[in-house]
Amino acid sequence: MRHETPTAGPVAARVAALNARYRNHAAIAVLRRAISDPEVGRVALVSSFGAESVVLLHMISVIDRATPVLFIDTQMLFAETLAYQTEVAASLGLSDVRTIRARPEALAAHDPDRLLHKTDTDACCALRKTEPLERALAPFDAWITGRKRFQGQTRSRLDFFENEGDQRIKVNPLAHWRPDDVQEYMVNNRLPRHPLVARGYPSIGCAPCTSRVAPGEDPRAGRWRGQDKDECGIHFVDGKMVRGPLPPTPSATDRNEEHQMNVIVTDTGFAADDLSGAFQPADTPGATALDLGPEADVTALAGRLDGVEIIRIAFPAFSDGRGFTLARRLRMMGYGGRLRAAGHVIADQYAMARRTGFDEVEISADLARRQPWEQWQARADWRAHDYQARLRGAG
Amino acid sequence: MYSYTDFDRAYVRERVAQFRAQVERRLDGSLSEEEFRPLRLMNGLYLQLHAYMLRVAIPYGTLSSRQMRQLAMIAERWDKGYGHFTTRQNIQFNWPTLRDVPDILEALADVGMHAIQTSGNTVRNVTADHFAGASADEVADPRPYAELLRQWSTDHPEFQFLPRKFKIGVTGAPNDRAVIRSHDIGLELRRDDAGALGFRVYVGGGLGRTPMVAQELAAFIPERDLLPYVEAILSVYNLLGRRDNKYKARLKIAVHEHGIATIRALVDEAFAERRAQFSGDDHDLLENIKAQFARPELARTDCAPYWKARRADPVFRAWADTNLAAHADPDHAIVTISLKPHGATPGDATADQMRVMADLAQRYGHDELRISHEQNVIVPHVHRADLPAVHDALKAAGLATANVGLVSDIIACPGMDYCSLATARSIPVAQQIATRFDALKLEHEIGSLKIKISGCINACGHHHVGHIGILGLDRAGVENYQITLGGDGTEDTVIGKRAGPGFSADEIVPAVERLVLSYLDLRDSPDETFLQAFRRLGEAPFKDALYPEQARGRRDAA
Repeated sequence: MRHETPTAGPVAARVAALNARYRNHAAIAVLRRAISDPEVGRVALVSSFGAESVVLLHMISVIDRATPVLFIDTQMLFAETLAYQTEVAASLGLSDVRTIRARPEALAAHDPDRLLHKTDTDACCALRKTEPLERALAPFDAWITGRKRFQGQTRSRLDFFENEGDQRIKVNPLAHWRPDDVQEYMVNNRLPRHPLVARGYPSIGCAPCTSRVAPGEDPRAGRWRGQDKDECGIHFVDGKMVRGPLPPTPSATDRNEEHQMNVIVTDTGFAADDLSGAFQPADTPGATALDLGPEADVTALAGRLDGVEIIRIAFPAFSDGRGFTLARRLRMMGYGGRLRAAGHVIADQYAMARRTGFDEVEISADLARRQPWEQWQARADWRAHDYQARLRGAG
Repeated sequence: MYSYTDFDRAYVRERVAQFRAQVERRLDGSLSEEEFRPLRLMNGLYLQLHAYMLRVAIPYGTLSSRQMRQLAMIAERWDKGYGHFTTRQNIQFNWPTLRDVPDILEALADVGMHAIQTSGNTVRNVTADHFAGASADEVADPRPYAELLRQWSTDHPEFQFLPRKFKIGVTGAPNDRAVIRSHDIGLELRRDDAGALGFRVYVGGGLGRTPMVAQELAAFIPERDLLPYVEAILSVYNLLGRRDNKYKARLKIAVHEHGIATIRALVDEAFAERRAQFSGDDHDLLENIKAQFARPELARTDCAPYWKARRADPVFRAWADTNLAAHADPDHAIVTISLKPHGATPGDATADQMRVMADLAQRYGHDELRISHEQNVIVPHVHRADLPAVHDALKAAGLATANVGLVSDIIACPGMDYCSLATARSIPVAQQIATRFDALKLEHEIGSLKIKISGCINACGHHHVGHIGILGLDRAGVENYQITLGGDGTEDTVIGKRAGPGFSADEIVPAVERLVLSYLDLRDSPDETFLQAFRRLGEAPFKDALYPEQARGRRDAA
């Protein structure tokens, strides 16, 4: 038990009491009470200065502008976020904004080349966000967050007050707000907007792991896109930090559920998949539609290609170019049937796929939305400007 | 010199248009940052510590005065008035904005240049001997092959997403000035017993955190088989190279893990398959390229003004002794312009200096310039009679430093001052060493000595092959410099050995000074170079000079 804690009783009991007491309160009332209620204790607002952060910051500035505000600078943030942070803190007159950063020695030891996020996003979040925040929160009994129920499955039953591992109370004044409430509050109070929102980032984290969101996508879809990751690890589910090894990258073969949604790209446009579910592992006797992984040994198929109508080669990541050489080798072995590249292939690679012998590319509906046909069409003239054709005498 | 065909011209324009669209698609979100990154990298655009950095290729290090002037224009218009020549025959602009980059690429295309594949996990700018086509010891000019490889590797559809970057270096001379054995593929032009041209092929070299000297894969590959053979190596690497760990993804690791015999068997198998893919158009193209690299018509005039200036002007003589190399024609010389004035940033040139060099090349050097991997600029064909005038012009532009091959002709990476990967500063160390030995006035007495400095273990400053290598690391937030001794980047490539514990930023320059002064005491004659003395005596006396406390302790104990 920490000293000077102005409260008695275990966290769980206090949380239950607080939720009952403030059940029908509005956000600002909850916040006002959270800042002054002895049951809550010493409290800080943790703010990312992201897309919607200005709402709570504004409320704090109205209630008590000396309330500690912890801003985690992961040192991977957008320049716009840093500028916005300064602007908002100044315009709202917040007097105790504390910038939290990872210890330099920890960065030097674990991420000296700033590339950890490429290999282990969770470890990067832990290093740059979770651990610095843990340290910064040590003197506090409670912290205020802007999390809302509508933000996702893991947050759908969020309460105003949460018990965080029997250590601290987490206060979520905006738990019941809807997206419109946030917008309305910002409009009514003439609050400055994060500049990236207008450029298509409804949810903003670190620069390397935040991408723009297409119209109709979940607002948080741009966070850690392409990874099975929704939370940075600061937040907890059932009292436990949400963290763990990333799941293996899905290959073409184990994406059958999504299959009907996939889009086939050819020189003439997008089309539905006419062969969904027909593919079998390459060693299936008599199979006419084969699935190959990027590690496949195509020489094992020598003499078995007669009667094969289509071969699908998986691209687990667009940066993994093995499939291009596999396609070329199959063509050199004399395979004349259909050849399909499937998985994460981007429009900019379409000409490469066609030039190495693929007839078509299979992409997810999500990718097709983000990179519509016009972007593929720009590379559908793959016979033009081809050095290989000149050098090999095929041009 | 090679001049672009209509095809080349259309290609680079198309590439600029594509990149312009990619920048827009990044800004509108069609491309994620993750997807945009390799696309910008394969167009030479890095995100550095302070800003974007654009790396422009100078294929096989050759450029015309017109191209050099365009680089000067770009430096002034879109950068801060200077450029940085690198160890891989590129020039880097350190301050462009993303929005301007397509326009810069357009300006490069105007003079037949590009930034294609100067970065990313693809075949990089092919480098060659910077004295190619001029030196006395050459079997044949390597640049036509480098140009053929440039065309073949540009946008090669199979090899844009390799496990890791891929570097090819070519030399046409037995004295290797292109450090080919530190490349993924090193090609040495030679003739077989029948006099036919071909290549000795090395694979699996590289510096970086795991330095390895390339091993011989084939003793002789006929020139007509160059493309299918290189393509066979790449196809094997694309499938075999590790993709689970970027630090183990280079070809050198695959060669190390599988053994050269396995790699050779796989390459031979792939070669048999690939050879049938090339119908001979590549040979026609090669012959056409070769014709464009014919040596210019050299003047036949009297060399007397050169000898007169040598006798009259000791400053000219000192410069001629260090900065000239033997040309195949005895009346001509190869001029190396040092971009290492004492106390300046190695490899930097201002726009004005670029124009001076362009003017000199146009007036005295058959319009040709070279960039060396040692970050200097070369005018390859200068008649000896013109050398005094060239020297005067260089002096006026602050480009006449007479230190080529000497202690202050240091290769240094950008280090922590510019690079986001660096763990220590390297440029200030290079500057301090140069300034110190200039003050001691010992530089010419010390003679040939290659000091190379890297600011992190990725070894962009080639410290592994420096006679004295310096590696800057970060030890718990404090810069620490390790010294390696005995490295050599020539045809006898040797990786230097670490001498012992590192030195702080304050101690490193005095340590280098102790080392070099001890060499002056130890050498058996002024003709014995540092490297020769090191090979004769071994590391012990040099380590004693570096660590006098330990040497004293050992003497006291004895």
